[in-house]
Amino acid sequence: MSTTTNGRSYKAQKVIDRMGQKLTRQMVGSLAACVHCGQCTDSCHYVLSNPGDPTFAPAYKADRIRKLFKKHYDWTGKVFPKWVKAGTVQTDEDLEELKDIVFGKCTNCRRCTINCPMGVDLATFNRMARGLLCHVGIMPEGVEYVAKEQWEIGNQMGVLKEDYIETIEWQEEELQDEMEDPNARIPVDKVNSEIVYVINPREIKHDPRSVLDAAKIFYMAGADYTMPSEGWDMTNFGLFNGDDELGGAVAGRVYDKVEELNGKKLVISECGHGYRSTRCEGPNWAKKDIAFDSESSVITMLKYIKEGKIKVDKTKNPGSYTFHDSCNNARSCGLTEEPRELLSLVVDDFREMYPNRAENYCCTGGGGAMSMAEYRPSRLKSAKVKADQLSATGTKTVVTSCHNCVDGLTDLIGHYKLGMDVTQLVNLVANALVVDEKIEENRKIHSAETSATAAQ
Amino acid sequence: MSNLLHFSSHTLQEIALVFMATVYFMRVRWFLKWPLAKERQPATGMGDTNPKKGARYSVGKIAMPWAMESSRNKPLMYAQFVIFHLGVVAAIGLSFIIPYGPGLLKSAGLVSLIQLLTGAACIIGVFRIIRRITNPYMRAISSPDDHFSLVLLTGWFAFAFMAAPNNISSGEGVMLAYFMLTAFFLVYVPFSKISHYLYYPFTRTYLGRHFGRRGVYPLKRTPA
Ligand code: SF4
Ligand code: SF4
Repeated sequence: MSTTTNGRSYKAQKVIDRMGQKLTRQMVGSLAACVHCGQCTDSCHYVLSNPGDPTFAPAYKADRIRKLFKKHYDWTGKVFPKWVKAGTVQTDEDLEELKDIVFGKCTNCRRCTINCPMGVDLATFNRMARGLLCHVGIMPEGVEYVAKEQWEIGNQMGVLKEDYIETIEWQEEELQDEMEDPNARIPVDKVNSEIVYVINPREIKHDPRSVLDAAKIFYMAGADYTMPSEGWDMTNFGLFNGDDELGGAVAGRVYDKVEELNGKKLVISECGHGYRSTRCEGPNWAKKDIAFDSESSVITMLKYIKEGKIKVDKTKNPGSYTFHDSCNNARSCGLTEEPRELLSLVVDDFREMYPNRAENYCCTGGGGAMSMAEYRPSRLKSAKVKADQLSATGTKTVVTSCHNCVDGLTDLIGHYKLGMDVTQLVNLVANALVVDEKIEENRKIHSAETSATAAQ
Repeated sequence: MSNLLHFSSHTLQEIALVFMATVYFMRVRWFLKWPLAKERQPATGMGDTNPKKGARYSVGKIAMPWAMESSRNKPLMYAQFVIFHLGVVAAIGLSFIIPYGPGLLKSAGLVSLIQLLTGAACIIGVFRIIRRITNPYMRAISSPDDHFSLVLLTGWFAFAFMAAPNNISSGEGVMLAYFMLTAFFLVYVPFSKISHYLYYPFTRTYLGRHFGRRGVYPLKRTPA
């Protein structure tokens, strides 16, 4: 390990120096205002699932970052370091230890934030600390890999353009088959569309059914929409690794493409961190004011039903359902009511989960945790409170509006043998669609066309 | 009244107050020099809130124990918090009443109220000291400043309780201790976590504006 003249490793020195550039007044307030009252302790799923281990307490974790702030940027810590628990990082090993806390013991879910009487927002400065570490190359391997994919290929799962287009074409064929309409399309790069629809690469790689379901809904609604061939990934690893530059670049690609296509509205498929990144944080990271409208596909689907553009039949979705609020949707974007309204229109038996909405527990796979294999055992152990919360609903299916939560919940449901399924609203809405009339109409058109061709 | 008591209850307090105000001024200036993160995102949520509403809710949340799970689920902790802070108000008030409006303390009712609040706050202080030492979570997050500040406040409450009748017929010891402690308290506070109330309006307003814009504050929930 190479060191600076003061004996500190170069990386540690860089982390300290860069902290000063990254701190905002909001963060400084959060770093200075904690009174160590402990009110936030029980709000964290890590604490609740690991009783007796105070190192999971939000204030304890926050203090691992706060000590640096106190020592290097707050004069109380400069004058009386021990008195206010100010401290520093000296070696790369110290940074590795910090990495295990900021990545491995916190999903940046913000549940402690809404439970702190002082308004301390740990998740925001925890993200900043992640960014400082990533900047000097200290991060979980999975985080490094995914961030690299997003920088280099333009989406976080390394989906190549040809694979993306091929999958859309495949789903277009499925759509044509299901709707019995050879003219049904999933348009790509159509200019001047009302809607530009962006998705999570997981939909291309692992869940193409969601692309088809969304296409069916757009088809039935007669929507004027397109999917972009570039800038289609609305997820953003910049939110997880604390890299504002990556965040701005990824969101910027989406915005640029919408502008290039002259789209009127950006519709973001169901993904908590994607929605937060593209709808909320992206303009801040990209330092760009967005000139077009954008909304979650949940809102779009709800509007279609309310405006009578699509008809749904809730009896097509039998069984019991509960709803899991993604942290990013609920605690950072206020998307809590529309999903419930939509859900109650497409299923009969909806049972609320407690606590819910902005007070819901994290799926425990948030903050990029699903990409950090080294923390999986601890993540699943810390999912106990979520597992209890799910099983208390007595339902068979948990619905969520987030691809990341689908994975996080599926993993913990398997681990705790809860025997539940996980699905998204797009799947339920598509399943509940009343399509018979339309298919009948398509058949008539098709047979008329066939007879016309035969007559020629 | 001896010269020492007069000095302690007047000049010393004034010097300490000026000192505290100066340090606070510097502290706020330092704080305001940090750049405010700009929010560019278009508003989210149901459209039933905005940054102003969010900020009002956020600042007022302290008086709405039902609005925060951490206080809702622990009503006793919340009650303690309220009494403890009312004790602070009473003890501070007393440090002004004795030198500048001693006539007010002829009211037995006011003396009893101050004693009730400072006495209760003192008992809560003792409870909090025990909790901070014995509860492993509290111990893990506590700094020497946290412990010292709590002991200091608890001791100060005890002396405020004894000083409230403003009676020096049986000696000035209690009054002297109360005013000396108050002066020390005023000098120490800006360097300690007790100065949290300086940040409170800022942190809560920033968070409230942020969550108001995002449609998160005021929180919505369906109770169990
Ligand atoms: S609730 Fe807030 S002030 Fe209290 S310990 Fe937690 S972060 Fe600090
Ligand atoms: S942000 Fe969430 S995971 Fe992190 S400490 Fe707070 S409650 Fe725990």
